[in-house]
Amino acid sequence: MLSVQNIVKQYAEHRALDDVSLEVERGKIFGLLGPNGAGKTSLIRVITQITAPDSGQVLLNGERLNANHISKIGYLPEERGLYKKMQIGEQVLYLSKLKGLSTAEATRRIRFWFEKLDMGSWWDKKVEDLSKGMQQKVQFVATVMHSPELIILDEPFSGFDPVNAELIKNEILELNAQGTTFIFSTHRMESVEELCDNIALINKSRKILDGPVDEIRDRYRNNTYTLSYAGDLDPLAGQGIFELLESTVTKTGTELKIKLAAGCSTNDVLAILLPRVSVQSLQEVIPSMNEIFIKNVTQTDL
Amino acid sequence: MSKISLIIRREYFSRVKKKSFIIMTFLTPVIFAFFYGMIFYFSYKEIKDSYDRIVVVNENKKLTEPLPSDKNISYTYSSKSLAALKKEINGKDFDYILYLPDFDIEQPEGVQLLGSKQAGLSLNNRVADDLEAQIRNYKLKQSGITQQQLDNLKSSVSIDVKKLGEAGSEEDSSAGASTVIAFVAGVLMFMFIMLYGVQVMRGVIEEKTNRIIEVMISSVKPFQLMMGKIIGIALVGLTQFLLWIILTLSISTVAVGLFVDKDEAKKMAQTEIRPPGQMSGQEVVKQGPMQNIQKSLANLEVGKILAVFVFFFLGGYLFYSSLYAAIGSAVDSETETQQFMMPVMMPLLFGYALSLSVVTNDPYGQVAFWLSMIPFTSPIAMVVRMPYGVPVWELALSMGILVLGFIGTVWFAARVYRVGILMYGKKASFREMVRWFGYRN
Repeated sequence: MLSVQNIVKQYAEHRALDDVSLEVERGKIFGLLGPNGAGKTSLIRVITQITAPDSGQVLLNGERLNANHISKIGYLPEERGLYKKMQIGEQVLYLSKLKGLSTAEATRRIRFWFEKLDMGSWWDKKVEDLSKGMQQKVQFVATVMHSPELIILDEPFSGFDPVNAELIKNEILELNAQGTTFIFSTHRMESVEELCDNIALINKSRKILDGPVDEIRDRYRNNTYTLSYAGDLDPLAGQGIFELLESTVTKTGTELKIKLAAGCSTNDVLAILLPRVSVQSLQEVIPSMNEIFIKNVTQTDL
Repeated sequence: MSKISLIIRREYFSRVKKKSFIIMTFLTPVIFAFFYGMIFYFSYKEIKDSYDRIVVVNENKKLTEPLPSDKNISYTYSSKSLAALKKEINGKDFDYILYLPDFDIEQPEGVQLLGSKQAGLSLNNRVADDLEAQIRNYKLKQSGITQQQLDNLKSSVSIDVKKLGEAGSEEDSSAGASTVIAFVAGVLMFMFIMLYGVQVMRGVIEEKTNRIIEVMISSVKPFQLMMGKIIGIALVGLTQFLLWIILTLSISTVAVGLFVDKDEAKKMAQTEIRPPGQMSGQEVVKQGPMQNIQKSLANLEVGKILAVFVFFFLGGYLFYSSLYAAIGSAVDSETETQQFMMPVMMPLLFGYALSLSVVTNDPYGQVAFWLSMIPFTSPIAMVVRMPYGVPVWELALSMGILVLGFIGTVWFAARVYRVGILMYGKKASFREMVRWFGYRN
């Protein structure tokens, strides 16, 4: 649905984006990951037409981005705020009318959303009377009000308390189930890991990694397992089949971290262990996105 | 386009609905009208009530001609001594004692005006004028002019004086009204541009510090947002201006109606001047102090002046407010604006100061001409010059330059603005702003 092609963006001496390309599929949740200052926000600004790229192009549904697409995209920036003196209802109404909704339609939808998110009585309140979490809810509503096809959330969960974060997360999943495509931008992997279908990792203005989350994790699996058992095991027993990385003694027995030798399977490990000890668990260590992220970022930094 | 109008509407209504706006708008004309009414009331009372009885003690042997009495003043000559009269001063027969010692006619010294209350400036001037006239007459006689010649001369002189005075006072009152209007217009223009220009800057800073800017910018173009704000605030300014004029006029009309009933005002208008023969009856009726200004207002083509004022307000406001918008976009908070405010305010202040001094003194001079051409100062200089009359070609040229000027500043500001609003935490400088100007989209 969204195709970012060879985007270059140069600010004076600083190159914010260097030949970045991405594909975001319809109905998926896409994670745009990278440390602070990597160029995530610059890329989002290009997608939301806040700035124009120096070269490259962005296609939405196969069309080059143009003014008509503004109403199809919802954007919740990292630096987000509201007019302090304006009433909440007025404010959301104003923002949705700027996105092209009629007053009647916007009012109807605002009532719907306010009802849904327990904000029914907020219409006449002023922003300065709301807590930060409440303001974020208002901002979220303003972002999704016009039923955009693509919603871009920059650091969506920063500043939310756990309850509201959960609430918003559920709304996101619901919208996603209805077919809305999402792009998350964040430097905190754990917050989006469970939500994202695909990710792209950006560091130092370049994309260094992208693909489906499962695939990437797969790629970074390295035959490492955790094994816990009760009983005594000769340290040399597994020679040739696995390499011992770590060993810790727990209350119920011993926990090992092992790396299988090439060509060996977990069955080979069990074959050795079963006659000697009582095996409690054997589990593959799947690297978290956070680890992959750190690994990649430190690699490119070197 | 509809987005701009949405923005304009928000900017307009969010300001017009503010309590401070409503209070300012309605209180200012009340205050104006109050002062206007007070001035009218007191000047009317002053003139109506002013009748001073003066007893003259003349010890001077040369000034034998009696001083002329009229409706506002009466001179009676007394043979009593100054000391005796001093004792009677608290009586009801007279208000002041005018003591004329036997002074040297070349150096008239020692004249005293004594009273239980101190004589006001106008009475003082009146008496001094009368005495000076008498001394002049005496000297003329001394130089060999006979009484008859003097009488002949006097009548011709007095006609001349009156004619001159008539024409002069006509011109004076018109020049006076022009100066008043020029001042008011200049001050208003300065105030409006400053006030509303700074409001634009505040608005931009507010959007930046509230962090709403990026939300806005994902829906509208920075240029639309900037222009929407500028136009919205301009409409606020015009609304306020219009309301001020309407309110001031209606309140002062009501106030004048309340304080002064018409017949008396008319009478007062007639008593105020001593109508000489040549004056037409129509002019006699119109010569009250306020009527005077109102009459010259009518002569001055108020409509044209107002239209020019509104045009130059809009032009000057656009010219400056877009610069203010650029400044607002470049900073993170209002405290940082100081260094930029000075250079932007200087030309306006400079124009303001010069307009109210040099231009009012010489509205057709070189300085006035150039000040009213350069777009940095022309809004103020031109409205100050307007009441004195400005050639059409100069007006047109100045308007044209101003239009080009604000197109230029708006263009410049828009380019700085679109970069500035998305910059946080960067210490802005003029060099930085010029660099932003050069950025591609």
